Order: sequence, then C-alpha cells, then structure tokens
Amino acid sequence: MVEGVVFDLGYQPHDGPRLGRSGARRALIKDGLRRVLGLRRKARKKILPATLMAIAVIPALFFTAFGVIAGEFDAAAELFDHENYFNLNGSMALIFVALAASELLIPDRINGTMAVYASRPLTTPDYVMGRAGSLAIVVFGFLWIPHLVLFLGRAWVGSSGFGTYVVDNAAILWKTAVVSVVYFAAYTSIAFLVAAFSKRTAVAAGVFLGIVMLSGLTEALVDAGFSVFGLGAVLDHPGYVKDWILGTNTDTWIPETAGIEPIMSLLVIVTLSIAAGLIVTGRYRRAA
Amino acid sequence: MTDTPIITITGLKFAYGDILALDGVTAEIPAGRIGLVGANGAGKTTLLKLLLGVLEPAAGTIKVFDHAVPRDTLQVRSRVGWMPESDCLPPDQTAADFLGYAAELGGLPVRAARQRASDILGLVGLHEERFRYMGEFSTGMKQRAKLAQAIVHDPDLVLLDEPTAGLDPEGRAEMLDLVRRLDEFGINAIISSHVLTDIEYTCDWVVMLDGGKVLRSGPLTDLSTPDVAELEVIGDVAAVAAGAVSRGAAVEVDGAVLTISAPDGDPFLIARDAVLDAGAAFRRLGAQRTTLEDVFMSGEPTDG
Repeated sequence: MVEGVVFDLGYQPHDGPRLGRSGARRALIKDGLRRVLGLRRKARKKILPATLMAIAVIPALFFTAFGVIAGEFDAAAELFDHENYFNLNGSMALIFVALAASELLIPDRINGTMAVYASRPLTTPDYVMGRAGSLAIVVFGFLWIPHLVLFLGRAWVGSSGFGTYVVDNAAILWKTAVVSVVYFAAYTSIAFLVAAFSKRTAVAAGVFLGIVMLSGLTEALVDAGFSVFGLGAVLDHPGYVKDWILGTNTDTWIPETAGIEPIMSLLVIVTLSIAAGLIVTGRYRRAA
Repeated sequence: MTDTPIITITGLKFAYGDILALDGVTAEIPAGRIGLVGANGAGKTTLLKLLLGVLEPAAGTIKVFDHAVPRDTLQVRSRVGWMPESDCLPPDQTAADFLGYAAELGGLPVRAARQRASDILGLVGLHEERFRYMGEFSTGMKQRAKLAQAIVHDPDLVLLDEPTAGLDPEGRAEMLDLVRRLDEFGINAIISSHVLTDIEYTCDWVVMLDGGKVLRSGPLTDLSTPDVAELEVIGDVAAVAAGAVSRGAAVEVDGAVLTISAPDGDPFLIARDAVLDAGAAFRRLGAQRTTLEDVFMSGEPTDG
C-alpha cells in the first residue's frame, strides 16, 4: 500500500512569465465576452442573449433548410436576402446592444470593481476599448454570422454550383461585414454613453431604446422642412449606410428624405463613436 | 524589513477643488509592513490613490520601486495590489472565477491564474466558498476576498485601505493575522487605518498623517523607551515611589502605575529594589511604551 503525505506548501510566489498590459487587455475582453453572453453567471443571465442569438440566426438556417428541401432556394432567397436580413437582425442587435452595453459598464462602476482595474497594468482607455471590443466581437458575430450561413446555404443549393457561387458573390461577405461594423458603431456609441451615466442596467437599456426610438420623431421635423434634423435620426443612419454599401434601396430612410448623403450619415456615426469614446473614458477615469 | 526605501515621496500636494487633501507630504517608506494612520479625512486614501497613479499630484514627486508615478504607472501597477475600503467584488461572480480574472488582469497566464486563485482562496480561508457567488458572502468573507484579489497576482507591494472595516472582533483578529502573514509571503504592505491598535499589532513602521501633513514617519520600535521603566504596583505605592526617589530616580505616579527614570542608573533595578524594600509586589514591569494614540494625540511632528 502506498502511503500518501500531505505537504502544506504555504504561499507559493509566481515564478512564471508575466504578460503585463497585453495579458490584462486579453483578460478584459474575455471577461466582457462572458459577461455579455452570461457565461459563468446564473442561468437567468444566459436566457436573453441566447434567445436573441437564436432569433437572429434561425431565419438564416430556416431559409437554407427550406432551399435544401424544396430545391428552389432562389425563390426563398428573394423572400429574405442579405439586404433585408439586416432589417431583422439589426433590430435584434439594437435590443442586444441595449442590454449588453449596460451589463458591461454599469456593474463595474456600481460594484466598485473599477478599483481592481486601477491596481492592474491597464489604463482607462484600455478598459473602455476592452469593453467595446468584447461587445464588438459579439455584435459582429450576431449580425454577420447569419449572413455567412445564408451565403453558404445559397452556395450549397445554388444552381450554379458551390464554387461558382462563392467566387461570383464573395463581395457580399466583406460588404455585410462592413455593414455589421457600422450597425455596431452606431448603436454602441449611444448605448455606452447612456450606460456610463446610469446606475441601473434596466434603466440604461430603457433610456437607450427610448432615445433611439424617439429619434424617429425627426421624420416629422424633416417633413416640415427642417432638413438638418435628419442628422439626428440615429436609428436610420446605419440602415441608410447599409443600402449605400450594398447598393440597394430597402426603405425610405429619414436622412435620405432630408437630402443628406450616405457618406454624411457615416460621418455622423464615426463622430458619435469618437465623442462617446472620449466621454466614457473621462467618466470612468473619475470612477476609479 | 530593510531600511531601503521602496517608496520615496517628496513635497506631495493634492487638492480636491479648494480642499487641500495633502500638503507637502515627504516620506521615505521602507520595505515591510507599513502603517498609514490618521483620522478620517487625513488624506490616507488620497495618498494610496496617488501611489497607484489613479490621481495625479498637483505638486511633488512619487517613486515606487524606483518607478516615477504617474509617468510609469503601468510598471508600478504590475507590482502592486490594492484592497480598497469600499466594496469591489462583483456579486454575480464566484470567488474562484473573479480571483482567476483578477490574476489574469495582473498579467498572469490563464493556467497560472487559475492555480493562484485556488491557492490564495485557501490561504485566506475561503477554499470551501470558492464556488459561491460573492453576493452571498458575509462582510468577513468579502474582506477576505478583497484581500485575496489584492495579492492573487503575487505583487511586491499591497495597499490595504481599512482592511478591518466592518468586521466583528473575531473577523478583525483573523484579518489582522492574515495581514501579519503577508511578511512570510514576501509581500510588502501599506496598511491604512484609523484604528491605531490595528497598526500597532500588524506594522513595524508607521506614517502618521494629520490634516494632509506627515505628523510622524518612523519605526514602531521608536515608540518604546527602554531607559524608562513602567511599574504597576500591588501594595503601598507611595512607599515604592519614595524608595525609588531615595535611589536617585525621577518618579511619576499615576494611580498604581509608577514611571521611573534614572539618568545615572538602571531604572529596572531601582524599581526591583524599591518594591522589595516596601514589601510590595508588582503586576507588571516593563519599558515605558508610548502608544500610537499618545503620539497622535500629542500632535507633535517627528521624523523617524
């Protein structure tokens, strides 16, 4: 019989490598992903992200399956193509960003966890970029993966053959990827701004959705001749830019009615993102 | 403890608007367990935040491990842990998950971070609770978890801001024992507290702040006076005092306690002989010890 001996090794200093700032940044992004998706959290935290993800992806899977079974995928694709798909999962992304942005930023400030970040090799811009990076990964996947599914499904059942379809239509992949980034930037900048000044996640999500929805009121002002208010139509800017990038016209967007060029809408989104980044960084610098 | 300073502060000033929190603080802080004491609002937490580079000084310089703060803040933060006074634990994470994350944030690789998290939770007595959500923790457990996150990445220096705040006597004693053990771990510590007995128990050097200025900075051993004896008498106090005076000692009487100093002799031998001659006994005899409270209340600036 082998006898075991238990040794109390006490405190063991860490003699291995230290990854410094880059390791800290990676850890921050990984934690953000877990937080957004509710991983390693209580079950109720997982329900909403999983549901929204499912709603975003299921139509793509459905139309692929429909095409495979019916053998007439092109007919199905006309019902739900890449252009229109953004109108569905863009709305899902809006709700997702509302909840995820507040979940990423508010608890750290309210629970005092900023003090932990303040004693690690991270700067406040690292923190804000890390949190935005986590959300970007998830939202990008949320918006773009259904397009990838749709693309592969079409290639699979397309009459021209898989390879030919992929070669002929590859451009749609990068275009939808760029549009996904545009949607992310437009929604996240406002959601982060609201979350940085809110104490409760549910309130922040509600205020963000309220602001975005109320921006639809600018339509009345634009119709009354005040074209400049078209710049405030934050809900419509990403859709307008999407149609511009994809070369389609899926809706009548408020900035379009106001006579604003799509590049101007893109500029509004970029400006908003930079301003939000600076304001949120300033806010969190004080919170440490 | 060595006398080589790990922190050098020169002419440090910081103000919150019109309120001057630190007014020309200068101190050299050696390795070991350092007490940072002062009343509420004395500037203790402000000083800790300045050491971490969270706040930027209005004037003066700070060097931590030879790195200038705030210029080299990230290098300093790689070697420092901080246990804030207020809560810092996410209630919806388990202790093991959060500690692993805190270690990774400190730059440790994933596998090492997980191992350290488990080890440190064991050291602070939370091994059994490691898979519980921290929102369910008692105040004592939260304080231990806060200490754990401050040392999980194996820092060279840990800043503890009021580590015993909100603890019951048992929890307080356990926390203070943990703080004393930091020395065995090779971790230097600055313990900020307004509870002077906690500092006396845990530290070997003390920096006293009052009104944003350094009242005293020096080793705690300086607080005892080996050439003055303090004697608590059982019996005829007056006779013992008279016996000591007759042997050339200067005596102060406070109830049953005599403070005996003898410029030309050994006050302990004089005390022994005076007790014997008076046929009395004594409850205690030792070097006169000035408590931190005595020094703090006297309010006289000194530098050790």
